[in-house]
Amino acid sequence: MNRTRAVLRKTAWSFFTIVFVVVLNFFLFRVLPGDPARAGIRDPRLNKDAIEVIRVRFGLDKPIINCFDSLNPVKVGNCAVNPLETQFFIYAKNLIQGELGISYHANRPVVDILGERLWNTILLIGVGQILSIILGAAFGVFAAWKARTSLEYTAVGISLVAWSLPTFWLAILLLFWGSTMGLPVAGKATPGMSSLPLLQQWGDIAKHMLLPTLTYTIIYMGEYTLIMRSSLLDVLSEDYILSARAKGLNTVQILRDHALKNAMLPLVTVIAINLGFTVAGVIQIESVFSWPGLGSAIYEAVIRRDFPVLQGAFLLIAITVILANLLADLTYTYLDPRVTVD
Amino acid sequence: MKKKMLFTILIAALALSACSGGGGQAQPAIVRVGWAGSPDTLNPGMAILTEAYTIFELVYDSMYELNLDGSFTLSLAESANVSDDGTVWTFKIRDGLKWHDGQPFTAEDVAWTYNLYKDTPEYPYLNGYYTPYFDTIEATPDNEVVLTLTEAIPNIESQLVFLYILPKHVWESVNKTEYENVEMVGSGPFKMAEYVQNEFVRLTANKDHFSMPPKVDEVIFQTFENQDALVQAIRTGQVDMVTEMPNTAAESLKADENIELVVGAPLAPGVTDIIFNQLDPENCPEGGICSGHPALRDRNIRLAMAHATDKQQLIDVILLGLGNPGLTLIPDGLGVWYNSSLTDYEFDLKKANQILDDAGYADTDGDGIREMPDGSAPLTFRLNWPSDSINAPRMSELLAEMWGAIGISLEPQAVDPDALTAQCCPAFDFDIMIWGWASDPDPSALLYVYTTEAIPTGSSETGYSNPEYDELYTNQQVELDFEARRDIVWQMQKIVFDDVVYIIPFYDANVQAYRTDRFTGWITDQAKVELSDITSLVLIEPVK
Repeated sequence: MNRTRAVLRKTAWSFFTIVFVVVLNFFLFRVLPGDPARAGIRDPRLNKDAIEVIRVRFGLDKPIINCFDSLNPVKVGNCAVNPLETQFFIYAKNLIQGELGISYHANRPVVDILGERLWNTILLIGVGQILSIILGAAFGVFAAWKARTSLEYTAVGISLVAWSLPTFWLAILLLFWGSTMGLPVAGKATPGMSSLPLLQQWGDIAKHMLLPTLTYTIIYMGEYTLIMRSSLLDVLSEDYILSARAKGLNTVQILRDHALKNAMLPLVTVIAINLGFTVAGVIQIESVFSWPGLGSAIYEAVIRRDFPVLQGAFLLIAITVILANLLADLTYTYLDPRVTVD
Repeated sequence: MKKKMLFTILIAALALSACSGGGGQAQPAIVRVGWAGSPDTLNPGMAILTEAYTIFELVYDSMYELNLDGSFTLSLAESANVSDDGTVWTFKIRDGLKWHDGQPFTAEDVAWTYNLYKDTPEYPYLNGYYTPYFDTIEATPDNEVVLTLTEAIPNIESQLVFLYILPKHVWESVNKTEYENVEMVGSGPFKMAEYVQNEFVRLTANKDHFSMPPKVDEVIFQTFENQDALVQAIRTGQVDMVTEMPNTAAESLKADENIELVVGAPLAPGVTDIIFNQLDPENCPEGGICSGHPALRDRNIRLAMAHATDKQQLIDVILLGLGNPGLTLIPDGLGVWYNSSLTDYEFDLKKANQILDDAGYADTDGDGIREMPDGSAPLTFRLNWPSDSINAPRMSELLAEMWGAIGISLEPQAVDPDALTAQCCPAFDFDIMIWGWASDPDPSALLYVYTTEAIPTGSSETGYSNPEYDELYTNQQVELDFEARRDIVWQMQKIVFDDVVYIIPFYDANVQAYRTDRFTGWITDQAKVELSDITSLVLIEPVK
């Protein structure tokens, strides 16, 4: 019973954090200087009337918030305005209805744009994370097992290098190398493949995914190796491992039944945190390889000052990080009964 | 160990992809174009980017075609007649035209589309700039379109060239601003086959087109967000042509025997300009801050700075030689409108110093920077540029060096583009800025930037005001005789050149490349270079 309540409380906290992010996200893009309706459009053919029409279309002619006399002594906002006609109210109302506004640049709903892109990113991050977790954990176990041998030093050395590589630099190097091997350097699929059988389409996507996934895997594998190794070394020095060894268990049994589960805890934390932060890395990978995902959508939106798209993407990322952390919290209790939810 | 693992994954993936090759029949001729952009929208009313216009040009027809030498040819109509007072145009539309979906294409579609553009204020370019002179547009039973203008204008071709004709039967029932037009039923030389925004546009040939049936079967435009990848793609044959590249790549691509590099003025003119705030405080517009340095209002200062600007060095260092020195806002890419008779101010530091000495700007306190003749302020100017500009930081360093040699110092500062717009116009809260313009094939748009009328609207960035120029601007807008209008336009360029309103360091060049082992017939000998232009794409054919 207690456990259910604790889980509920954690979930409620996550919900409030998301509400906070929603509000912050709105004001973040409104305190930026200048006028988004004019940015990037510099053409003598656009006269004042045309610019005004653009502003009206995106609701930028409306006040950001109205003013609550009692709440805000500095009188921010326009007091003469109906609160229902402020940008903030419209934003909140749309959000509840699942709308994120219209992209300034592409003249289409942000939900459509992000929806298209999200799955591509999930595919890339998903495959990349799984590969780097498996490989990283395997190398980590290997390094810890071969502690104080030259094999361990090599594994640690390589991992350190991989971990510290700048993402875009590695991506560009792999792009040059891959292109000479006949690998595609841009996009998710060869244009015009959609009429072919599914299997061929998948093969084509796999070919396009190869370089970005390889970059992703190399970058994250190093980190996971190092964490797995040090955490396993910690666990292996515990007394109960010594007693397991005294019982006559072999190395595989010790690792599998006694050490690994405990050593996984720090790795789970890092993976959960990474799920959020990988978006930063994915911006670089996606924009180098023109992978049509969330990262490249953010990159384009920044260049074009497409605030509605940025706002939507930030919200999506924030929600992902919060949910990933919630999930990590809950997974802990399963992995280690000593950890309680509260 | 780790390497081996990666290698295994690689092999596995390659094996997986190997089964995707194949296909035995005669290969269709597919042109793969790599570009760094993507259309913003396929709704012609809402589009702003050049990439969108490139696609419109291929899929739609319009009354006129813009040629690469800057001239126009009548396209949809067999004949165009104008009334004696120049206000009523009658276009006889060709008979037997068809939309890509098989429906007949008639004068009714043309009239309906022109009315749509005229009556939809949400279409920022089309409504504001191209249709203000439209009075009524009607279709006659003889397949004619009668366009009545509110006044006679000299440039009906450039007013109509970007007004692509839309199928009434599709567009009648859609929301005119929200419609994304992904199916894009057109009548032009190419049909829309498949479109994924920011990934690719796939077009198939319309071999029945009345004037320009393509010889190839398909054109695919693929988006590359990374220009290095674009270069690598043409080098390895993943694309057959690229519409842009970093100038740093030009040299190495030139060395590739299967790749031909072409450089020239772009189809849509682009200008990089050095802007002097010379606004007379008396003309300070409403809401203006007008904090420009008084010295910049003196032509002598601007003239001296022009003589102290080594444009060739700027071009060599910043563009690696791929650009032409500029004179005024009207670039060489505008063809006949460009006043080629002007001779640029020669780079001569001695002369520049002399001009400043004669005008009384002396360095009285010996700090290496000249002061105003009355000693009130040093010649120290704020220099700003939009922070997203790639070229401006290098240019600012070079300018600081060049102008430093004549006793003028700069305070360089990159500014967020939004903030710079707010600072620029019509606030006039700056001294010097580096910025640029993109524009129209007709010179009117760029000439407008110099007018007094443009000061409060935010289009004028210099605050320049000259009644003689303003009058000529009005005259060229109504002068119907081509030669006479050209003379006026040339004279206007001479005036603003003599007044040193701007320093134009260079005109932007298009740097493109195509693979010589794939397709032949690209147009490369015209004043403008644009391999993705319709004129090239309907001519090219596979290399045998």
